[in-house]
Amino acid sequence: MDGSTKGLSRPVVMVNGTDLFCFSRSLFNRSKKLLSPLICLGVWELIVRLEFINPFFCPAPTSIVKELYVLLFTGELWMHLGDSVSRAVCGYFLASLLGVGVGLLVAWSRFVEDLIDPLIELIRPVSTFAVIPIFFIWFGIGDVSKVLIITKACFFPIVLNTIAGIKGVDPKLIQAARSLGAEGIALWTRVLIPSALPMILTGMRVATSMSVTTLVGVEMLSADSGIGFMVIDAQRVFATEKMFAGILILSALGFSFDRVARLVQHRVLAWHKGV
Amino acid sequence: MAFLEASMVNKIYHDKKKQEIVALSNFTLSVEEREFITIIGPSGCGKSSFLFLAAGLEPLTSGVLKFNGKPVKGPDPLSAMVFQEYLLFPWKTVRENIEFGPELRHVSKKQRRESSCNLIKMVGLGGFENRYPNELSGGMQQRVSIARALANKPQLILMDEPFGALDALTRETLQIELLKIWQQAKCTVLFVTHSIPEAVYLADRVVVVSKRPGTIKEIVDIDLPRPREREMFTSPSFIEYERYLKNLILEEI
Repeated sequence: MDGSTKGLSRPVVMVNGTDLFCFSRSLFNRSKKLLSPLICLGVWELIVRLEFINPFFCPAPTSIVKELYVLLFTGELWMHLGDSVSRAVCGYFLASLLGVGVGLLVAWSRFVEDLIDPLIELIRPVSTFAVIPIFFIWFGIGDVSKVLIITKACFFPIVLNTIAGIKGVDPKLIQAARSLGAEGIALWTRVLIPSALPMILTGMRVATSMSVTTLVGVEMLSADSGIGFMVIDAQRVFATEKMFAGILILSALGFSFDRVARLVQHRVLAWHKGV
Repeated sequence: MAFLEASMVNKIYHDKKKQEIVALSNFTLSVEEREFITIIGPSGCGKSSFLFLAAGLEPLTSGVLKFNGKPVKGPDPLSAMVFQEYLLFPWKTVRENIEFGPELRHVSKKQRRESSCNLIKMVGLGGFENRYPNELSGGMQQRVSIARALANKPQLILMDEPFGALDALTRETLQIELLKIWQQAKCTVLFVTHSIPEAVYLADRVVVVSKRPGTIKEIVDIDLPRPREREMFTSPSFIEYERYLKNLILEEI
C-alpha cells in the first residue's frame, strides 16, 4: 500500500463497530516495547531445544514457566513470598520512620546535627553486607536481624534526602510563610515538610529497591524461608528450573515495590512539576 | 503618633567573611494611615531591607521602629508582605494559598471560604480557584500572592518590587488594579520599586533612598489627583516629577 493514500485506500474491516485495522495497529504500538524481550526469550528457547546448551545449566523459558506453575499451586511459593515480603516491608517501614524522624531532627537543630551527622557519615559508606555478621551476633540469625539489616540499607537514602529536602527549602518561602503568621510547629507541618516532600519521597523510592536487594542477600546467607533462601537452596540441590523461577519472582518483587512507590509519589505530589 | 514610625534605624548584616555591611543608617520615616508610599533608590541601597524590618522578619541593629505605636518584634498579623518572586505554596491550590493565613488564625471554614471567594473575585481570578500555582502565568501568580496577603485583613501591606518580574502590559494592569484594591481595602502600602514612572503613578509620597548605607535622601510629595488615570503618564507635571526623581537617583550612582 502506498504511504500517501493508506488512510483512503485500505479496506475497512469493522468488528462490533471497531475498526480492526486501527485496533491492531494500536495494539502493535503498545506492544512494541515487548518485542526485544520476546525475541531474546525465543532465541533462548531455541538454543536450549536444539541442545546447544545442556538444560541442566540453563533451562528453557518454557520449563521455567512450568516450574513456576508448579510452585504456585503447591503453595511453596506463597509461603516463601509471604516471609520475604513481610521482612522487606517491616525493614522498609522501620527505616522510613527512623529516616524521616532523624532527618527532621538533624535539619531542625544545629546541636543534633553536630551530634548525629558524623555518625551518619561514618556508618553510611560501610557496606550493608559487611555488617551482616555483627547483626547476626547481636540479634541472632532470626527475623529480627534480617529486618534490621534491611533497615540499615534503607535508612540512609531516606535520612539524607529528608535533611537535604528541609535544608533546601527556599529561605524566602519561609519568610513569606512567617509574614502570613506561620511560626514554630505550624511552620514545620504546613510549610517545611510539604515543601521537602518531593525530596523525601524520592529518598523513600530509592530505598524500596535497596530493601529488595538487601533482602535477597540476607536470605541467601542465612534463612530457612523466603525467596532468597528458595533460590540458594535450589542451587545447592541443582534444581536449576526452581532457581531461575525464584530469580524471576525476585525481579518481579523489586519491580512491583518500585511501582507502588511511584504510584504513591504521583498521588501525593499531583501538584509537583517533576513527577 | 504616626502609623508606622522609624527613627534612626540602623541595620548591619554580616556576610560570609564576617565583614560588616551597613544596609541602613539612621533611617527615619513616618508613614500615616492609608498612605501609599513608594520607595526608590539605587540597587542594593537597603530599601528592601527596610521592608523586611517593618515586616518583623529581620531584627534591627539599633533605632526605633514602631507599628501602631508598638515596637516591631516579629511578624505582625496586621502587616503582610508581597514579594517579587510571588512565593506561593506550590502544593496548595489558589484558594488554599489564599486561605493559608486565616487558617493559621483558626478562622472558621465558612468565613474563610467567604473571604477567599471575595478576594478571588477582587483580583480577577474567578474560575482558577482550584488550579495549582505552576499552572498560572506570572501575573496571575502575583494576583494570588496579593490576595493571600489581603486575606489576613492587614492594615499595612509591604510590597518588595512586586511587579519587577512581569511584562510591561501585565505590570500596567496590575498597577491599576492595585490602586483599586488599595482604595477598597483601606490599607497603607509601602511599595519598593526600581521603576520611576511606577513610583510616581502609585504614590502619595516617593521616598528616595541614597546608595549604601541607605539613608533617606529626599521625600517627594506627588501632588496628582486621584483616581490616577493612565493619561497622566504624559502630563507635564508627571514628566516633571519623573525627571526630578531620576536626577536624584543618578546623583547616587
